[in-house]
Amino acid sequence: MNHPLIKVKDVTIGFRDKGNVSKVTDKVSFQLEKGEILGVVGESGSGKTMTALAIMGLLSKDAEVLEGSILFEHKDLLKLKQEELRKINGNQISMIFQEPMTSLNPVITIGHQIEEMLLLHEPELHSDERKKRVLEALQEADLKDPESLFYKYPHQLSGGMRQRVMIAMAMICSPKVLIADEPTTALDVTIQAKILKLIKKLNKDHGTSVILISHDLGVIKSICKRALVMQDGKIVEEGTVEEIFSDPVKDYTKKLLAAMPGREKKKLYNEAAEKETYQGHSKKLEVESTKKAERDCTEAETEAKRKSEIKEVRNTDEVTILEVHHLDVFYEENVKKVFAKKKLKKVVNKVSLSVKYGEVLGIVGESGSGKSTLAKAITGLIKDVSGEIKLKDKKPQMVFQDPYGSLNPAKKVSWILEEPLRIAGGYTRQERKEKVLQILKEVGLKEKLGERYLSQLSGGQRQRVAIGAAIIQNSRLIVLDEPVSALDVTVQAQILELLKKLREEHDLSYLFISHDLNVIYQMCDRVCVMYQGEIVETADAWDLFHQPNHPYSKKLLETMV
Amino acid sequence: MKNKKINNLNFKIGISIISLVLLFIIIGLFYTPYDPNAMDGTAKNMAPGFTHLFGTDNFGRDVLSRVMEGGRTTFFVALLTVAIGAFFGTLVGAFTGYYGGWLDEILMRINDGVASFPSILLALIVVSLIGPGKYNVIIALGIIFIPSFARVVRSEYITLKERDFVKNAKLMGASDLRIMFVHILPNTKAILLSSLTIGFNNAVLAEAGMSYLQLGVQPPDPSLGRMLSEAQSYMFMSPWCAIFPGIMIVLSVIGFSLINER
Repeated sequence: MNHPLIKVKDVTIGFRDKGNVSKVTDKVSFQLEKGEILGVVGESGSGKTMTALAIMGLLSKDAEVLEGSILFEHKDLLKLKQEELRKINGNQISMIFQEPMTSLNPVITIGHQIEEMLLLHEPELHSDERKKRVLEALQEADLKDPESLFYKYPHQLSGGMRQRVMIAMAMICSPKVLIADEPTTALDVTIQAKILKLIKKLNKDHGTSVILISHDLGVIKSICKRALVMQDGKIVEEGTVEEIFSDPVKDYTKKLLAAMPGREKKKLYNEAAEKETYQGHSKKLEVESTKKAERDCTEAETEAKRKSEIKEVRNTDEVTILEVHHLDVFYEENVKKVFAKKKLKKVVNKVSLSVKYGEVLGIVGESGSGKSTLAKAITGLIKDVSGEIKLKDKKPQMVFQDPYGSLNPAKKVSWILEEPLRIAGGYTRQERKEKVLQILKEVGLKEKLGERYLSQLSGGQRQRVAIGAAIIQNSRLIVLDEPVSALDVTVQAQILELLKKLREEHDLSYLFISHDLNVIYQMCDRVCVMYQGEIVETADAWDLFHQPNHPYSKKLLETMV
Repeated sequence: MKNKKINNLNFKIGISIISLVLLFIIIGLFYTPYDPNAMDGTAKNMAPGFTHLFGTDNFGRDVLSRVMEGGRTTFFVALLTVAIGAFFGTLVGAFTGYYGGWLDEILMRINDGVASFPSILLALIVVSLIGPGKYNVIIALGIIFIPSFARVVRSEYITLKERDFVKNAKLMGASDLRIMFVHILPNTKAILLSSLTIGFNNAVLAEAGMSYLQLGVQPPDPSLGRMLSEAQSYMFMSPWCAIFPGIMIVLSVIGFSLINER
């Protein structure tokens, strides 16, 4: 028990490009003990994934380990031959990836994909025996009805189920080490919590050591005992989770912690105190005051300013910019026949909501709850609706979740920003140019970035461009569909700041859709909770987070990690 | 890393070969050593030598001059063929891919119909309807090239139209045509370019084939395929008549294939 299971020593990974070496990690050393769950935190680009891939021997061809050693049970994994490494991979060390949509082969049934592991590592098994093992593994991953799952294809499963299948596959040979690379990042909050629970259970039942890589401090905190903080390829801090969270030594760790959206940060700092403060307050006024007192100073200031501003708007005119009444939204089901009638499936059911001028209305719910569909119906992208959508201003614009997909990759930034003006017409070339420069400045991008293609921008920069393209058209209402979900925590915080700033400067209203309760809490004045296509609760943000009424809202809040 | 280098090398070799071929043809535009169609009874079937670098054919015509002229004709036909195919193919692909539905079904079934015939056979049918000749061959081959471009472009449009940037453009108020040709089309550039080089290759071969069957360029004008066909009867007496146009075809095809390997 005294020997660490994996000992990573001075590992430096680099890309070679025409003789130049650019280092991704720099002398990374850490140990993984038997039976422990080790967290690795850091922004993307900090070298977390690279280190994990190096352990698995899965580095891409142009990256290589320049120095150092990775000892697994006294064998240096870096010096092993391919065949020997293959025996260890999957059998003794296995890995689950971030994206359950792409990490399973889409044309092979679930059963056969998992069987493959056994075929490779325990070829002596009889086929009946193999199937039994696969079914057991699926069962253990808490998947219902493994018998029918066996013959299903990945596209027939939800994201959470696929991630469970990945876990079943990784665990079927009872590995000693499981490397989980952002296993929950692509999933909803409620499912996230369940997957983490499952990993913890497997860790307990089988004694499997786990390396859990995540940029989400909440995830790390919820199941890890010990954690490493990585920045720019170096380990900047190491210790137990309590140490790191309560008393971060390094500036970077503090920055990471500070970048966590509001409520969660507080929760981590002082959970007990929070509970006490909130008990017994039911009147709104009292609640308001505790709320202010409870926040730290600067936050309270901006919050108060924002609140008063909203109040102002509300007082002067209680005008709604958007009113939705009894809205049903239908989705076209895929019909393979040539001249068959369209088949419509109801996705959003009798939804009513309103957004006032200057207000931020949040919509929260799991994926599949119809949030995005509702947004698309409101912006007019989905035409199959019944009910009423009353809009008092210009057509709303939309910012999408994935800044990689929502902007035209074949065009330059300035072209993308200019396009709405070109379509609208009525501007001279010079005016368009000036407007673009002005918007670039407003969203915090340098002028020269206008001449770049999207592939040369980071995710945060792209999202800034997307926001710029939305506001350049002078719409008063902007629909934000998960605008920060695809971004790192620190970048997330910057984008949220930008959105707040723009809202004040341009007097915008937002319809803010997110599955992330922390983000919702930080941004919104009022919140609608969506569940299976219906709005089950609408309340002021603070009320909802502290006194949820509907059982589903309560369940959502409980699953917050 | 290694692969990238090899690909790069392929590209460079391809470009050099094609530039050489093009240079050869361009020189032919302004200067040929002899008149390509002038017969010289005193110099029939001469082997390559100083007076006739590539030798002469059985009418005493200079093979070098004829290869220059023939290469030009072949490239001209291939270029127009690919242009017709790419233009209409892209149009069909864009509309069917973007709109889908019955338009897609009808046009793509016609497309499948056209694609299901062997291309030379179909070209023969078209030529027998509209008659042989350079421009008729261009039209016939052009029609045959439409389906492959339409397929490629359509599949690109089907995936690209679901992307969020297209939805974004709709929200801005862009018209369907603008979305199709200003927003989506530039994104198909990579795949269109490689289709173009492959298509050009096939067109060079198809023109050669048609002319070999005496349906393309009419005598006495040379084209690479025609020259091969004429040289056939004298293969053993004057092999150079077949070798040089053959080399020209092989070089162009290899060149474009290598460019496409990138």
